[in-house]
Amino acid sequence: MTTGAATAAKAERNEQGLGIDKVQLQVLADHSLAAADAMASTLYRTAHSTFVKETEDFTCGLATPQGQTFAAPKGFGSTWFVGLDYGKVIDLIPSYQEGDICITSDPYSGFVCTHSPDIHLWKPIFHDGELIAFSVGHIHNTDVGGAVPASLSRTLTEVHQEGIRIPPTKLFRKGELNSELVEVMLTNVRVRDQNWGDLKALVAAMNTGERKVLEMVGKFGVDAFRNGIQALLAYSEQQTRALISTIPDDEYFFQDYIDEDSVGGFPCRLALNMIVKGDSIVFDFTKSDPQLTSSLNVPTGGFERHTLLLVGIFHAFHSLMPDILVNTGMTRPFHCLLAEGSVLNPQFPAAVGMRSLTATRLQDVVFGCLSQALPDRMPAAPAGSISIMNVLTSDPETGRRVMAAIDPLIGGGGAMPFSDGSNGSGGNGGFLKNTPVEINEVEVPLRILAYYLTPDSGGAGRYRGGLSTTLIFKVFAPHSVITARNRDRTRFQPWGVRGGKAGKSSSYVVNEGTPKEQILGNTDIFTAQPGDVIRITSSGGGGFGSPLDRPTEAVLHDVRQYFVTIDGAREEYGVVIADGKVDEAATKMLRAEMRKQEGEGHFDYGRGREAFEKAWPKETYDALIERLRQRPVSWRFFLKQRVFAHLRDEMNVDARKLHAAMDHVESEFPQLRRKVEAAE
Amino acid sequence: MTYRVGVDIGGTFTDFAVLDDANKLYTLKVFSTPTRPGQEVIDGLRALKQRYGIEPSKVSYFTHGTTVGVNTLIQRNGAKLCLFATQGFEDVLELARLRMPDVFSLFSLRTRPLIDRECVIGMRERILSDGSIETPLDEAHVRAAVAQAKAHGVSGIAVALINSYRNPAHEQRIKELIGEAAPELYVTCSSDIWAVIREYERTMTGVINAYVQPRMTNYLTSLQKALRDEGVSSEPQITKSNGGVMRAELGKRACVDVLLSGTASGVTGASFVAKLSGFGNIASLDIGGTSADVALIIDGKPQFGSGEDVGEFVLHVPSISVSSIGGGGGSIARVDDQGVLKSGPESAGSEPGPACYGRGGERPTTTDAFVVCGFLGQAEIAYGAVNIDRAKAETAIGTLAKKMNVDVRDAAESVIKVAVSGMYAGMSKVFARHGTEAKSFTLMPFGGGGPMIACFLARELGIETVLVPATPGVLSALGGLVSDTKNDFIQTVYEMLEPATLASLESTYATLAERAMDWLRKEQGHPGTPQLTYSADIRYAGQSFEIETPITDEWIKKRDAASIADAFHDEHQRLYDYCDRKAAVQVINARVVVAAANPKPDFPLRELRKHAAKPDRTVPVYYGGKMHDAGLFDRTKLEPGATIEGPAIVSQSDTTTCVLPGFTGLVDGYGNLILKDGTLS
Repeated sequence: MTTGAATAAKAERNEQGLGIDKVQLQVLADHSLAAADAMASTLYRTAHSTFVKETEDFTCGLATPQGQTFAAPKGFGSTWFVGLDYGKVIDLIPSYQEGDICITSDPYSGFVCTHSPDIHLWKPIFHDGELIAFSVGHIHNTDVGGAVPASLSRTLTEVHQEGIRIPPTKLFRKGELNSELVEVMLTNVRVRDQNWGDLKALVAAMNTGERKVLEMVGKFGVDAFRNGIQALLAYSEQQTRALISTIPDDEYFFQDYIDEDSVGGFPCRLALNMIVKGDSIVFDFTKSDPQLTSSLNVPTGGFERHTLLLVGIFHAFHSLMPDILVNTGMTRPFHCLLAEGSVLNPQFPAAVGMRSLTATRLQDVVFGCLSQALPDRMPAAPAGSISIMNVLTSDPETGRRVMAAIDPLIGGGGAMPFSDGSNGSGGNGGFLKNTPVEINEVEVPLRILAYYLTPDSGGAGRYRGGLSTTLIFKVFAPHSVITARNRDRTRFQPWGVRGGKAGKSSSYVVNEGTPKEQILGNTDIFTAQPGDVIRITSSGGGGFGSPLDRPTEAVLHDVRQYFVTIDGAREEYGVVIADGKVDEAATKMLRAEMRKQEGEGHFDYGRGREAFEKAWPKETYDALIERLRQRPVSWRFFLKQRVFAHLRDEMNVDARKLHAAMDHVESEFPQLRRKVEAAE
Repeated sequence: MTYRVGVDIGGTFTDFAVLDDANKLYTLKVFSTPTRPGQEVIDGLRALKQRYGIEPSKVSYFTHGTTVGVNTLIQRNGAKLCLFATQGFEDVLELARLRMPDVFSLFSLRTRPLIDRECVIGMRERILSDGSIETPLDEAHVRAAVAQAKAHGVSGIAVALINSYRNPAHEQRIKELIGEAAPELYVTCSSDIWAVIREYERTMTGVINAYVQPRMTNYLTSLQKALRDEGVSSEPQITKSNGGVMRAELGKRACVDVLLSGTASGVTGASFVAKLSGFGNIASLDIGGTSADVALIIDGKPQFGSGEDVGEFVLHVPSISVSSIGGGGGSIARVDDQGVLKSGPESAGSEPGPACYGRGGERPTTTDAFVVCGFLGQAEIAYGAVNIDRAKAETAIGTLAKKMNVDVRDAAESVIKVAVSGMYAGMSKVFARHGTEAKSFTLMPFGGGGPMIACFLARELGIETVLVPATPGVLSALGGLVSDTKNDFIQTVYEMLEPATLASLESTYATLAERAMDWLRKEQGHPGTPQLTYSADIRYAGQSFEIETPITDEWIKKRDAASIADAFHDEHQRLYDYCDRKAAVQVINARVVVAAANPKPDFPLRELRKHAAKPDRTVPVYYGGKMHDAGLFDRTKLEPGATIEGPAIVSQSDTTTCVLPGFTGLVDGYGNLILKDGTLS
């Protein structure tokens, strides 16, 4: 071919420029996805810490000049931050130049970072001097200093205890590393080499993103790129609005609880009034608990479309519309209302390290609202507690100290409108891998006695909830420290829907059935002694539809698979099994009897919640929140705890009893009275 | 004259590549007979005799790849089995590694295990991680379990116990007990197949082996007989997922080793052809009606991995790494509710196939778009087995055009772009995972659809050169023919790499090497010079993944821990861009690969006589929003040195190559068509 012909063909290609019309938006989406994947591969490949490789607790993406993420990797990395809006932190840096890379790990600056172990970077990408996009991403560092190893604990009460925080600043200025800043960061952490290694990997990912964006600009032309990335956000928004339009206009309310608002504390309520109108949704979270004096707060800065408030939407909408493009555009039809000084909008310097526990329950609250709105399309509650177990022990012979993550305890997925829930993990907790028994036994001086799916743990239903897992192990060295972070769902169970029963609660016991038995509940740190046998069982997923409608052969099949016991089949499904066969006559009678007792409600909450709500009906809790909100932020958690303690033995708290108790508690503190009166 | 015969049995066609003593290559294609596996081989042998006068008795070497195993797995119609696992760990298959296939979806489900939980029986025994026996095997209970298994009506039992990679005694004893009580049952012990730490992966390897074993055994036995009956006296060989071959007889036991034999030999064939023509870095692209697979060949070497996908399952034995990047030519295009054009994942498959095949398919596919744009349907394809109905393609694409409010040709071109960009995204991921760039590779397309789409994809990836092999249809068959006899041996070690542990490491390697030599000489009966390759799976203490690191026999014998560690640090640096030479290092597995060369053809390099090839005629094609006159060439008439200029269509009986405007083609001395994108320089 002559040079002339080649040039002509080249010109033709550029002219044609794969014009980003709507029809061909998919082409740009594919290229953007490939760019985000390349960033994630770079990060995953070059990160130093095992934590990053095992939990994939990182994100990478590309954002518009306004900070809206338009591309995120698929099936790689964390599921929580794919729609993140970097706009607020971008604005906190006065100006950008080529070669800059910015950093923050402060949950109170710009509300992009949500706890101090998350290091976020963003890099401006320039084309001919024009800022056209940002590479963005985060990585969770195992430790960033602070009061406890790994920086996270429910016991912490203010963010200062949770490790070093970097306010939005430049890590690189025009390509030059700010090494003083790096030195300050690394001086304050427990595993400096690892953090430095992971930071370098994240920087490499930023640079990969920049390179890929410039390649895209070369391919499509800068105008097509500029317009195209906005079109990708609009596309995702349109898809989301189309889906919302299928939800009947109405208000849907749902509440769920965290077992303990602090170590050994009282329940923490998360409440959502979902108002659907046309193709948009208002999420009113204002009836949720006041901010906590523990690290379970979720820092959102009151931002009406904060990604952590919408993770449940990402999961649900991706499930309902599998080819939905997940980016910040998805968040646009939503408007969240948050009360200042609440668990979902805490004031500085509230601790936020363990916000993941709260954020997980928050997803259940979103699922609960959607389940009422789309009863035929949404699953029952997933297990709802994603806990990772670590053991710090020593070799009884050599004395060698070993610290290792042994297994995540996740629990079953919620039953679906068309299928049983997935066993052992699933729903919104499907991203973790377990550690093989054989690896644990060779790495850690302990013995795994059993690791299995817990029979009868899935919520009974026409479709059964996924089973929980049980891990039993024995330690051999004195003072072996077992940590189980994010333990929950010991008291409040994953709910079932449309007649389906709640999944079984989680439990944690040492030396079960012996005189030395000790029930650990949601304990996150426990010191075991030689010979102690520890059993931990996660929660099961909720069931869907009446268990009395589950075909008898499906129940028999479950019994044969050891998923349901013979007693469980009789008591929960009304199926009588004898000699390995269904006794049809007895089953018919039993089911007829049980049908008379069946409840009417959309949800089955399980005993823990029923008992609690008997004592604390919704209206009373509403009144409590209302009254606490009128008190200064710093008093709210304290007063709530006092009131709960005061009413501990009360079987049925109504508004009158509540206010009497509040008056009584507050009367002890004249300084508070004066303040309140002054305000009034 | 004697003949060496390589056969690749695919879903639709079975390809033959035959070499005679003078290195002349004969090729042949017959229809596969999935309902009568083995029949296609007989049909082919008879056709070879008829067409080329090749007598079966003159076949000195016969190798073939089969899809019997992989189809059994994908269609889930294998053996009914019991699994004997350690009590307390019976849920190993259901739990898998917990992580869900789609972590976003609330509706994601893990693959249903091949063995129902009711057929998993817990063994009363326990071996610890150091190999010591904590709880001796309860043999009476094993006998009862065998009776129970028989009551379940199984035809085989997989035995996989906790820590058996360290001490196989209980698994072996159970095998004996089953043999005594139920000699008719197939038995697979996980420690025999893959003695590696990680119970789920080892158990799955054993279960998959047991699952496909009865079918594989029946198939291989009937094939052996049929070949004998036809007069082929040499013993048939079977290609393996690791790119090697072994005696078919051994495939009756090591079934799991042959699952990916077809795709692996395609890559072997590609790397052979590429090396011959002087290309080192190749991205092979195999596109069929329902699949598009990519493999990277770096510096002439196929890449190996464990953890390859086979349908819904993951294979943990060493395999040539092949990644799926999409749905192939049958991918269905549609316009979604927001007006955005999508391609796949739904596929028209081979039944009914694209609308243009006229077999009842009505929905628009990628192949239909190529027809509408004029790239396909200008000459006979698929040996005349398919007639292209252009009107049907236009009707199908027309439904899209209406929704998009554009001309049917523009709609077709958009369908191609979207299909290509989907493959681009998939392929980019493969390059990224290997830490490499598309630009440094040559694209080698094969399969019916590869050469059709290769120029489009190369342009999208920024790849300058496309190499279309002379006989893209028989690359897999050729690959089997040039493969070496090869087997992998592995043993978990799990020791710190330090002088104190090297004595035991040395003895582990000595044992593996001895087993490897036994396999080659006694089981394989291969007289050739053995090549033993040593490697170790190594990691930094505390990491959860290991890197296979090539090491030398000498380091092991000299107990040279430092050299082994250095090799690992270097490898870590290469793969992950960093290493820590001071950190403690752990050896997880010891590996030995034995290989013995089989004769390679020496294709003659023909003289290049540069000349512009004359097209048979010109045909109109649509690209870049306008019509072009494209030369239509018959591949068989293109001599070495022939040049062509895009736009052009090169047609041959098993595929069609689209040469886009801006590309120039040259037929090299081996008959390969080398296309270069002139717009990139």
